[in-house]
Amino acid sequence: MAAIDIPVTGSHAEDAHGDPHANYLKATHGIRSWLLTIDHKRIGLMYLTMVSLAFLVGGIFALLVRIELFSRGQTIIDGETYNRFFTLHGAVMVFLFIIPSVPAALGNFFLPIMIGAKDVAFPKINLLSFYIYIAGVIILLSSIIMGAVDTGWTFYTPYSLQTSNSVISMTLGVFVLGFSSILTGLNFLVTVHTMRAPGVTWTRMPLFVWGMYATSLIQVLATPVLAITLLLLAGERFFGIGIFDPKLGGDPVLFQHFFWFYSHPAVYIMIVPGMAINSELIATFSRRAIFGYFAVAMSSIGLAILGFLVWGHHLFVAGMSEFATMLFSALTFLVAIPSGVKVFNWTATMYKGSIVWASPMLYAMGFIFLFSIGGLTGLFLGTLSVDVHLTDTYFVVAHFHYVMMGGTVIAFLGGLLYWWPKMTGKMHDERKAKIGFWFVFIGFNTVFIPQFIMGSRGMPRRYYDYLPQFEPFHKASTIGSWILAVGLFLTAYTLLEALWKGKKAPRNPWGSAGYEWMTDTPPCVANFHSTPVITRGPYDYHLATPEELSTGWDEVEGDKPATKKKD
Amino acid sequence: MTEPNAPATFQLPEQMSTVAADVDWLYYFIYWLSVVLFVGIVGAMLYFAWKYRERPGHKAMPTGHNLPLEIGWTVAPIFVLVFLFHKGFEGYMDMTVPPANAMEIKVNSKQWGWEFVYPNGGTDNELHVPVHKPVKLVISSSDVLHSFFVPALRVKRDVVPGMYTTQWFEATHVGQDDVMCAEYCGGRSKDSSGNGLPFIQQTGHWSMHSMLHVETDEDFTKYLIGIGDPCASYTVKGQTCPDSVLVAQGKKIYEKKACQGCHTNTGAKLVGPSWKGIWGKTESTDHGMIKVDEAYVRKSILTPQADIVTGFPPTMPSFSGQISEAEIDEVIAYIKSLKE
Repeated sequence: MAAIDIPVTGSHAEDAHGDPHANYLKATHGIRSWLLTIDHKRIGLMYLTMVSLAFLVGGIFALLVRIELFSRGQTIIDGETYNRFFTLHGAVMVFLFIIPSVPAALGNFFLPIMIGAKDVAFPKINLLSFYIYIAGVIILLSSIIMGAVDTGWTFYTPYSLQTSNSVISMTLGVFVLGFSSILTGLNFLVTVHTMRAPGVTWTRMPLFVWGMYATSLIQVLATPVLAITLLLLAGERFFGIGIFDPKLGGDPVLFQHFFWFYSHPAVYIMIVPGMAINSELIATFSRRAIFGYFAVAMSSIGLAILGFLVWGHHLFVAGMSEFATMLFSALTFLVAIPSGVKVFNWTATMYKGSIVWASPMLYAMGFIFLFSIGGLTGLFLGTLSVDVHLTDTYFVVAHFHYVMMGGTVIAFLGGLLYWWPKMTGKMHDERKAKIGFWFVFIGFNTVFIPQFIMGSRGMPRRYYDYLPQFEPFHKASTIGSWILAVGLFLTAYTLLEALWKGKKAPRNPWGSAGYEWMTDTPPCVANFHSTPVITRGPYDYHLATPEELSTGWDEVEGDKPATKKKD
Repeated sequence: MTEPNAPATFQLPEQMSTVAADVDWLYYFIYWLSVVLFVGIVGAMLYFAWKYRERPGHKAMPTGHNLPLEIGWTVAPIFVLVFLFHKGFEGYMDMTVPPANAMEIKVNSKQWGWEFVYPNGGTDNELHVPVHKPVKLVISSSDVLHSFFVPALRVKRDVVPGMYTTQWFEATHVGQDDVMCAEYCGGRSKDSSGNGLPFIQQTGHWSMHSMLHVETDEDFTKYLIGIGDPCASYTVKGQTCPDSVLVAQGKKIYEKKACQGCHTNTGAKLVGPSWKGIWGKTESTDHGMIKVDEAYVRKSILTPQADIVTGFPPTMPSFSGQISEAEIDEVIAYIKSLKE
């Protein structure tokens, strides 16, 4: 990679972060230097801390729900508490964890680096969006103290108009979180359009960036609809406007239309980033350019657009007209095409590659395995007559967990392991990471395969207690949740352990041709010592120099070998 | 095609309706299609991951282009998807458009129970239908969303307050299955003073369960006569209904409307006072001493929080709009019959 010497001066980088050439983690010190930072990398790490905590909280609720369902009758909690716990599990996981997870944490950190930029376009708005997120978290979680919400994360009317008032604080929290999401999306869109380094053309843009771009489009266009819907819900509760409440002449189904008009595109806010990470992992660990780069990039945009046209498939039995039902079924099937293209292209990328069985690659292959199940079970649900039987059963629960957790969370974990050396400057223990993967993979399937079967046998969702014929499946599922938890805690430990016990990471430990591996580990404050000029694509292994792909230590950069103890 | 009325398979429950066989055929078609695609994709992935594993002397080949392949796997799925859409929509229309001669049963749902109103005016909290006869359900809700779901019929229809939704089916053989609520509708595990209820008294989405009974024509006719209002045959002739009939009807309501969940007829104390021996007694309430007579019983059914007998929690829901005046008379007759 060539570089022209444009000195990095006159930017915020110098005043706020000290020396632009210093390690971003050590350039400035003290708690204020973190809380008031406008460095996208530090903001990314703060987001990462927050979404990880949210994942822990949501996960604890999931484990409690699973323990309650271990046996029939009351196991540990009463019915009302159960309803609150599954609501909190859903709301925390969707709004506090999955939606911000990849874009706000990994996206913030890597999007600018991967296009050779110094920062995002609006660094201060980036920090603002982080604090809006924090405010949203506080408001949303305050609902727990105020009596907790038991409506499910979907807040369906008219139940949400009748139950405890804390539903308002939860929807207000979601409303506030939406602004954080919109600002991050806007920031990314502008950054991608205006801040690409010389040579980073649209067709040389890393697929992770393409995925972030598509996600940002949805965030900016869809989130306002959720905000309006939740305002209407609050208005309905306080002033009895009569939009959703049938007692006042309102239509409860209208709420479902409004809600899913956001929340279905939101499904793509959740999965497209996961796919984006997976494209990076597959390319790096196959040592080969992504097969059909253009098709993979466009399929992200395709999913972003199609995502807006299929919300009605959540309402097939909800009392929608037959004509609308038919239309939404037809449109829904179209989603299978871009999703299929991605899976086929990833698999084809591995053909005649040089496959490295590193822990992130295990996650990438796990993603293809689990996402294929998630996607194919979508065919059952898109097919109208079959959906009538399966909708609102555990089949749906298993289906979306295969997409959301088997897709996004698996990709998120793979991405964390992959970029951890670049972010922290430390290598994790690969052996522990791989053992962690197998626990996660086996545990996950043990949780959700029984849920497919009990769902198709007729077990409805969101049940505190169930008929005797479903007990063995619930037992298996709960045992699986413990295996999964062990895997997740082990993986978290592996990552944290690297911080104090990990070896110092070289510039490019995985031997990737991606742009983010061309800079220091960890990156300097300005990301690059001089503005990079890109002369090849991020996956052009045949054009990359041996120095660029070297997994060792760069003499010229002045890095010290691992044996010399620093810090 | 699977046989009609096939018993449960590993993945799907027993088939009890005319549409079930079609639904299941399509389900298994998608299932095997998915199995083939899944094995193909994951098989190729694992094969490549092993065959092209990183090892000394092995180098990745630069990625080329293969436009026909890319167009192929973009276009080919469309044919399968169109087929699935078509079959699914066809089956959906079959279960949506009821035949003109279908017998109509009205379904009322509320938190947390079902009530079925038959053509002769009789009501029950379980669903009885004749075999081989199309039945059209007209479903409504008096509070929040619910969903009428019977796995063996392969039908499900959301219930939306403020509108009627309909669902029809024709049962193919005599038998039983569960009627469940499939749309989350809340729950209650505390009484109104905030004390936790034992598991058995906790109600909610999960407990909104009933049974479907598919019966022969003769059995169904007998059933219909049984649930019809026997007083009707006297009142249309201008006669008064005999006490014995009123009491029998009152006992039925006592069981059907779940009065027995809180009030025993044996003298034992549950959440509410027992009905045994209560008639004519003077009870102490939060509004002073009140005699248990027709006026008090009627008031207690329609506005239960008005006068609470000392020592009992004010937890009873109102039955206003859910019980007719004639039914109240029958309940009163039954309470009268429960003298010490």
